[in-house]
Order: sequence, then structure tokens, then C-alpha cells
Amino acid sequence: MKPLRILVCDDSLLVRSRLKESLKQCGDFEVFEAQDGQAAIDMYKQYQPELVFLDIVMPLRDGIEALQTIKEYDTRAKVVMVSSAGTQSHLRKAIEAGATDFIQKPWEQHQILSIIAKAVKEKEE
Amino acid sequence: MFSLYFGHYLLNRGLITPDQLTDALDLTESVHLKLGVLAVNAGYMTASRVGKVHQMQTKVDRMFGELAIELGFLTKKQLDDLLSTQKQGHLLLGQALVDKDYLSLEQLQVALDEYKKAYGLSEGQIYKLQQGDVDEIVNTFVRIADSPEKALYTFYISLMLRNVIRFIDNSPRVESSQIPEKLNAEWLVWQEITGSVNLFTAIAAEEPVFMDLARRYSGQGLLEPDELAQASVAEFLNLHNGLFLVNMSNNGVELEMKPQLIGQNKTVTGLGTGCIVPVYLRSGRFDVIISDSNPAL
Repeated sequence: MKPLRILVCDDSLLVRSRLKESLKQCGDFEVFEAQDGQAAIDMYKQYQPELVFLDIVMPLRDGIEALQTIKEYDTRAKVVMVSSAGTQSHLRKAIEAGATDFIQKPWEQHQILSIIAKAVKEKEE
Repeated sequence: MFSLYFGHYLLNRGLITPDQLTDALDLTESVHLKLGVLAVNAGYMTASRVGKVHQMQTKVDRMFGELAIELGFLTKKQLDDLLSTQKQGHLLLGQALVDKDYLSLEQLQVALDEYKKAYGLSEGQIYKLQQGDVDEIVNTFVRIADSPEKALYTFYISLMLRNVIRFIDNSPRVESSQIPEKLNAEWLVWQEITGSVNLFTAIAAEEPVFMDLARRYSGQGLLEPDELAQASVAEFLNLHNGLFLVNMSNNGVELEMKPQLIGQNKTVTGLGTGCIVPVYLRSGRFDVIISDSNPAL
């Protein structure tokens, strides 16, 4: 089976690097990187990843806007929001826009592992 | 952390030298606490009463606490408090200074009494400071000017201190500072918060401290202020502000924040009402800025 394709989108190089490190500990995946909401939309359309980790506060287009556009393009898209600002308002908007999950930064490794395990299982099915 | 504040008070009063402070602080990390010094530090016993118990101990083979209770110098609860502090394994600065003969126990007690008076501290507050109570530390050492947002700024600074302890350095020291007309920052990371209140938040630092922050937050051996180093300090501010927004949201106030920005050799003017809080790490000082208006950069 081909490795899971994962898109990591955050405007911080440090966060992208930490997320990639967390993913590496979970297995071998094909990982793409984007640093703003618009780039996430473009890369989603180009690579059709099976899982997206998306920050909320970003330049150009924020994570909620990117999530809405990605879900309009592909209703089956699996997008996990990863943000330090897990406010009631952001949680509500993310759920309404169809986010699969929401992770508050700083994340624990087991949170990433659990999301990956679920995505791998769904791919196998 | 209390040791750092009391130590700098002694330093500013000229009672000890910088080398003696460093020496004593180093010692605090390795030596076991003695109950007599703890009792004086906690304000439970005077130096002369501790002396009496020590004198008795030269004649009878009995524990300090046991004798102090028998003589009516300590209550059982006070002894339990002291034993609990002792178990934490941190040697208080006072004991280190006495052990090193930089101060006598009597001089320590006088200095501690004057320190309490200078900051208007009760025994309860001293106890909280010694336990590292962040809210008490901010209320005692950070003077924030009266304004409608004073409580918000105080909460922001307390949360920042907690996050510095959690992610950067377990013993930072904060001070008070006035908002200057002009602030020159070798490195400035800033982020706007918008909503029912609009806030400008920033971290300003000289390059060595900026790099120290970057290394400590990222956990990587960064050598240059490159993109990763800049992203590390910026992400620390972003994380802190995100947690601030979550706390506000839990209290029914929904705020948003804009992406964080980074600049070098910035001059900041027109900060408006707010506060600048110097935070001292082992490597030096960085400033935390929160203001109700966007400055010119």
C-alpha cells in the first residue's frame, strides 16, 4: 500500500518542523508543506492528500477560510485544525466548516498518533 | 524564584556583592535546607529563638522541630509547613548567604523585615512568594498603571510568566518598567489581538537573549538568527497569545489574533496605555509589551 499523503500547513517553520517530526515518529508518510491558507488550498488541489493538518491564524487566507474552500472542493477531505487559539469561536467555526478534529497547541504525541492511526485504518478499509 | 527577588533586593541595597549573590544562588541548587533558617525566612521564629534551639541541641540529642515546639516557638502546623518546604529540596538564598558567611542570621532577619516593609508584604504573601505563586509575584513586583484594562494586563503578564516558566526557563525574574516614548529593539516580535479590546503585544530583545529564547523554545542548538530562530520566538508569542485567547474565551470574551510578525532594529513609538515588563533569564533581559494602541514601527 502507498504511504499516506499528508499536508502540513502552518506559517511557522518551527511548527511545520515539529509536526513533521511528530509524523515521522508515527510512520513513513509522504508529507507536503504549505505556509499559508492559500498555499494549503493550492497544494490540496494539486496533491489530493488524505489528511491535512491546518493552522488557523495565518497570512493571506486563514485556516478557517482554507478549510471551507478545501471542503467545498472535496467534501470528503479530512482536515485537522491545529491551533494555539482553541477558542469557543474557533472551535464552532471549525466544526461548522467540517473539520475532522481540533488539536490545541502544544500538542501531545499521542494526539497525533491517534489521528494517524484512524486515517491509516480508513485508508485500509 | 523568591530567592532571585530577595537576592536582587540585597544587591540593590549594597548588602551583598554580585559575586556573592551568584555564589549563594549556585549553592541554593545543591544544599539541604536547615529548619532554623527556614523558620526565620517564614517569619515563624526570630534569629535569637533559633539560636536558643541550636544552643539546646548542643546539650540534648533532639530534633530542631521537636525542641522548638516544646519551647513554644513553633506550632505543629508551622513545623509541618517548614518540613514540607524542606522536602522541596530548594535551599533558600538566606541559608546560602549565612552558610557562606556573607550575612549573619541577625543581618538576614533585619534585611528580610525591611524587605517585607518595602513591598508591604504580609507573612502570608511571603509564604506564597516562596512557593513560587506567579499571581503573587506579578502583583508584588510588577507595577501596572491604573487604566480600564489594568486587570487584563495583569492577567496577560501572569500568564506570560507562567508560559516562560513552562516553556523557556524555570526561574525568570520580572520587574516593573515605565512605557518609554521610544523603544529601540534589536529584535521585535509582535502580534495584534482584536475584538472587544484591541491589543498590541510584543517581545523585544537584544540578539543574545533573542537567540537564547529561540534555542530554549525550539530545543534546538540554533547559532544564527535565521528563519527557524525567528520562527521559534514568534511561535512562543503566538502560543502564549493563543492560550490568552482561550482563557478569555472561557470567560465569555471572544478575541481574534493576527499572524505574528518579526522585525530587526525596530524603533517603537506611540505605545499608548499599557505596560512593558522586563523579564530576566540567566542570559539577560527581554521585554514583554502589551498596549491598547498600535504603535508606529
